Amino acid sequence: MRILVVEDDPDLSRQLSEALKDTGYAVDVADNGEDGHFMGDTEPYDAVILDLGLPVIDGISVLQKWRADGKTFPVLILTARDQWSEKVSGFDAGADDYLTKPFHHEELLARLRALMRRAAGHTTDSIEIGGLMVDNRAARCFVDGMPIKLTSHEFRLLSYMATHKGRVISRTELVEHIYDQDFDRDSNTIEVFVGRLRRKIGTDRIETVRGLGYRLIDPDNAAAKK
Amino acid sequence: MAAKAGDIPSLVTRLIRGAVLWMLPALAITAMALTWFYQQSTYKLFDDPLENAITDLIAAVETGEAALPPGTLFLTREPIDPRYQRALSGRYWMIGRFQADGSLVPVRASRSLSGETLNLSDAVKVAIDNQTKSEFRTRAQGPDGEPLRVLLRSVILPNDASVVMLAAADIREPQRDIRRFAMLAVGLMLMISAAVLAAIYWQVRLGLQPIFELRQKVADVREGKVEKVDGIYPSELAPLADELNTLIDHNKDVVERARTHVSNLAHGLKTPLAVLLNEAEMSKSGLSDVVERQAKTMKRQVDHHLQRARAAARGQVVGVSTSMDETVIPLARTLERIYRDKDIDFDLSIPDGLMFRGEKRDLEELAGNLMDNACKWTKSRVSVHAQMIDGDDGFFTLTVGDDGPGLAEDQYEEALKRGARLDEATPGTGFGLPIVEDLAKAYKGDLKLGRSELGGLEVVVKLPGRL
Repeated sequence: MRILVVEDDPDLSRQLSEALKDTGYAVDVADNGEDGHFMGDTEPYDAVILDLGLPVIDGISVLQKWRADGKTFPVLILTARDQWSEKVSGFDAGADDYLTKPFHHEELLARLRALMRRAAGHTTDSIEIGGLMVDNRAARCFVDGMPIKLTSHEFRLLSYMATHKGRVISRTELVEHIYDQDFDRDSNTIEVFVGRLRRKIGTDRIETVRGLGYRLIDPDNAAAKK
Repeated sequence: MAAKAGDIPSLVTRLIRGAVLWMLPALAITAMALTWFYQQSTYKLFDDPLENAITDLIAAVETGEAALPPGTLFLTREPIDPRYQRALSGRYWMIGRFQADGSLVPVRASRSLSGETLNLSDAVKVAIDNQTKSEFRTRAQGPDGEPLRVLLRSVILPNDASVVMLAAADIREPQRDIRRFAMLAVGLMLMISAAVLAAIYWQVRLGLQPIFELRQKVADVREGKVEKVDGIYPSELAPLADELNTLIDHNKDVVERARTHVSNLAHGLKTPLAVLLNEAEMSKSGLSDVVERQAKTMKRQVDHHLQRARAAARGQVVGVSTSMDETVIPLARTLERIYRDKDIDFDLSIPDGLMFRGEKRDLEELAGNLMDNACKWTKSRVSVHAQMIDGDDGFFTLTVGDDGPGLAEDQYEEALKRGARLDEATPGTGFGLPIVEDLAKAYKGDLKLGRSELGGLEVVVKLPGRL
């Protein structure tokens, strides 16, 4: 899961990105409206945290531009302004949630999870596929009730595939959603991560669809079909 | 600060008092003058026949032969008016001599006197003796006791004898005439006074009408019924109306500016506070505890003063009103998105054109908190109804109900207590009901809790408004 943080306060921005990385997300940061808008326009984010009082272009305008361009990623507005009129204009511009400063990290993370979950059409934070349980809330994973230790990259990969379970996900899509901007994107590494993940959760849980990508499946169901 | 009425007379009183001050003496003098002129002309007419009688007497008097004793005189003919012949007819003539004791002894007299004499005042005799005056108009009592007007002339006869010739007539009738005229004049003047007073009162009211209108308009502005002192005013008042409008705008500006400053300060502090709190939360150490404690205190201070600034500015801005539709509908739209998991079904019924007589910000705070609260507790349905209160001019009720668990009646008081939270399980800033109640009270309204038709809590807020 890859998240864009548009926040002009460097300290808050750093804290947010640290907290988000700790939770297992790939994070990009922009410190003004113009850069933020450009990044949101060109990169496929799974969610955006947007401040309203931004230099160059204000947050509402950035959001309106994204929505006008057909960007559908969930946007959480994070602002000091707590008047109803500001909430109304934020939601009218296309926001999906609105959180006022100061805030608790837990609340921000919970809301972010809820947004992404909703965007993918899930109703709970944990996703289960035939004995494999991915808990997005705690950033943990279990196979048949046994906890599995994953690195953050491995978890991101698994979490993204679990969120979009049943669908074939291309290597490019995975790269775009699990690495942040600064990561050296050598598509080979995806295969490396998939290989490690298969060793940890079971080879038959990740199906390779030749020429298209990977798919997270329930091995028992797949076996039954065959 | 407040202008005191009553210490000085009102404008209407002043103008009317001023008018009365010149009008009543003027009318009184007019009545007196008219009566005086009428009296003069009446007496002139009255005196004419008496004058004639004396002239006749002078023409007719003869002193006769020198041998006759001095003082003897004859009349070749008497004045012809038959009333001089009838006894006690009220019309008399006489030729007489004054005695040393002041009494007048008739030498010749009309038959109507029946041998009586007339008693004249001593002043007449004294004047005649001193030869200062020879003609008199005076009063006397007639033989029948009637008041007489007497014309009297002192005449020296050819034989050097001095006599007075007089003609007199009953004065009661012309006096009655004059009195009647005087009463008529006074009555007329009183009627004119009344009519003029009424006219002046009407004129003053009419003349001051624009002032009354202006006063009403200013009151309307203060109550938020209209936004500006509009309308057309006379050239004397138009600048005042303009000044008032400028003052109203200035007041809006000042309040807005003050509020913006506080709000900017408070909001500017919120991001650094968020950073401090987050940082302290992330790195647990002795320092972070202090930072967290202090930052929380600062956050409370910021919230407190922001709230105070909003409350202080409340009701300070005059002449603003806010459309209910334009406020409630966006709020419902926003809340539907905030609570999208609940798929809330809003039932909005707001009369077309209903205006809240107050600021948009306050209405948003009020309706937003109520609706947010309802959304928090509801299962899926929230109703928002507004309607003007019959018979309570200028107020309407805003009723927000939900189909949630509601409150028991003994919990109502607790729910309205500041800082109280009945259930910690639903996240958010508590009930928000005390804030709403404060707001409603700031606008002279109130807040009541009850059970909604939907089954949950119902909040009814009374607010100033107009259709």
